Amino acid sequence: MAGRFPNVATLLVVAALVVMPFVMHTTLATQIVIFATGTLSVTLLLGAVGLLSFGQGLFLGLGAYTCAILLRDHQAGPLTGLVVAMLAGAALALALGALIVRRRGVYFVMLTLAFAQMGYFAMLAFKGVTGGENGLTGLPRTFRVLGLPIESPLSFYVLTTVAFLIVFLLVQRLTASPLGSVLAAIRENEGRSEALGYPVVRYKLAAFTAAGAIAGLAGGLHAVFLGFVPPSDIELEMSQRLLIMAIIGGVGSPAGAFAGSVFYTLVSEALSEIWARWLALIALLLIAIVLFLPGGLWSIGRLVAGRWGGRAGHG
Amino acid sequence: MSTQLLLFQVLNGLGIGMIYFLLSVGLTLIFGLMRFVNFAHGAFYLAAAYIAYAISLAFGSIWWALLIGPLAIAALALVIERLLLRHTYAMPHEAQILITFAVALLFQEIVILIFDPLAKSVPVPASLSGIVFLGPYVYPAYRLAVVAAAAVIAVVLWLVVERTKFGAMLRAGSENAEMVGLLGINVDRVFMAAFALGGALAGLAGVLAAPLRGAEPFMSTEALGIAFVVVVVGGLGTLTGALVGGLLIGLVQSIMSTLWPEAAQLMIYAAMALVLLVRPAGLFGRF
Repeated sequence: MAGRFPNVATLLVVAALVVMPFVMHTTLATQIVIFATGTLSVTLLLGAVGLLSFGQGLFLGLGAYTCAILLRDHQAGPLTGLVVAMLAGAALALALGALIVRRRGVYFVMLTLAFAQMGYFAMLAFKGVTGGENGLTGLPRTFRVLGLPIESPLSFYVLTTVAFLIVFLLVQRLTASPLGSVLAAIRENEGRSEALGYPVVRYKLAAFTAAGAIAGLAGGLHAVFLGFVPPSDIELEMSQRLLIMAIIGGVGSPAGAFAGSVFYTLVSEALSEIWARWLALIALLLIAIVLFLPGGLWSIGRLVAGRWGGRAGHG
Repeated sequence: MSTQLLLFQVLNGLGIGMIYFLLSVGLTLIFGLMRFVNFAHGAFYLAAAYIAYAISLAFGSIWWALLIGPLAIAALALVIERLLLRHTYAMPHEAQILITFAVALLFQEIVILIFDPLAKSVPVPASLSGIVFLGPYVYPAYRLAVVAAAAVIAVVLWLVVERTKFGAMLRAGSENAEMVGLLGINVDRVFMAAFALGGALAGLAGVLAAPLRGAEPFMSTEALGIAFVVVVVGGLGTLTGALVGGLLIGLVQSIMSTLWPEAAQLMIYAAMALVLLVRPAGLFGRF
């Protein structure tokens, strides 16, 4: 389904990004945007091509470590750090993707999880570089981007939001393009797309690489924002969190990634105060969504919008 | 590394490998028939390890857990299959993966809720707490017992799959479930039984592993990762694949843990990548 671009979703997301720092802690808003970026990589893979990845945290983690090392040891600016983090994510995704995108169905899913675990153990094995369980610390806390100072929480938010918006618009543009239609064809019927002459493996590899770049960028942003890299950035739990956000938000639209991140981050923030085992509720919600609302929370919005649109049409 | 040490590590690796076999055979069995990977497999293993812990607290040893653990997990698996999975068979395979993943999360949180997030140690049964001399080597008796138990289970499973009517249904179902249904066999029932059996095997692995590695709420992730490596190396859906894959991975881990201890776990995954590169379907894979 090739949608229009820009559409109502674009407008809603931009509006939310503008409002967010005024209605919640700026650091919380920044966190939401960073995870929305990471989640976009899952949404792109699952929503556009039908590839379910349990391993996007691997690329996020790699991006975080890469960016952090550049900032700390090579006096790189944040822009350089973020771009290289993206390239690192893309390069690793290209290499792993070449190995695994040929495998269909569950095999692909298992391999993404296994390689994510491999990344975690690699982080532990090379603790001289990564800091192991202690994380990678000692990053500079103030930057200049294009002559502007990045120190206050709001400036971090703006930097993160600009990065997210660029990726978000690109993904939206991609899904609305003829290329997006080819990817959708692969998602709906891989065999038929292949029979029609599309180099399916190459398309899947391209999508996997792009998703790796996006996750790498999210990792870089996380490192810049936190001022250190916690080992949890590359743990399997990170991959799972991105996946949960994507499914809850809905993978039918890139805006679902944003909705998922907003929902998950706010709910976890609110619930973790009340009940430490809130993740159990998220698990139940995940089951409910898979069984009863495959389009995720975003599809509720679409349903409501459709109804409104219908009324407007009658009136 | 001296030959003496190498031989000892090989012995050790075979021991670890048999546990890895137990851990992954249920996964491969379920996949063979139902064509989906149970992401709650590690959580079944986790729950059984905690059952072993609770029983060792109550009775002073894990003997009863060997019976109760697998049965309880099989029952849980049945409930999950009837309550949730049954509704997803018509959906894309992502639905089953996501549901079982959510179940795994739920298990992890429930375990922390009932116990706490701290690691628990589970005692080795007193009668197996000694050591055994194998030629010039000493070997913990419990570990040897686990290897023997896993070997027995491998043989029994092979007999069940290859020599019984149920096994024939399993094999036929994995070839063409629809056709088997048309022949008048209740495929639904076979699916239930296979899922329960897979759960029971994960449960048994969890109980047997508990005295070796303790019980902690996050062991399910590690176990799931290992099980995936084993089935990717051996090939999904075959008993032989699970056995050979398990042993191979056990050997890699054991030998690497003397050569480069920090990277022993990493090398397991590197071995998987290598197999994937030269034999994408795994050593005995059909898919």
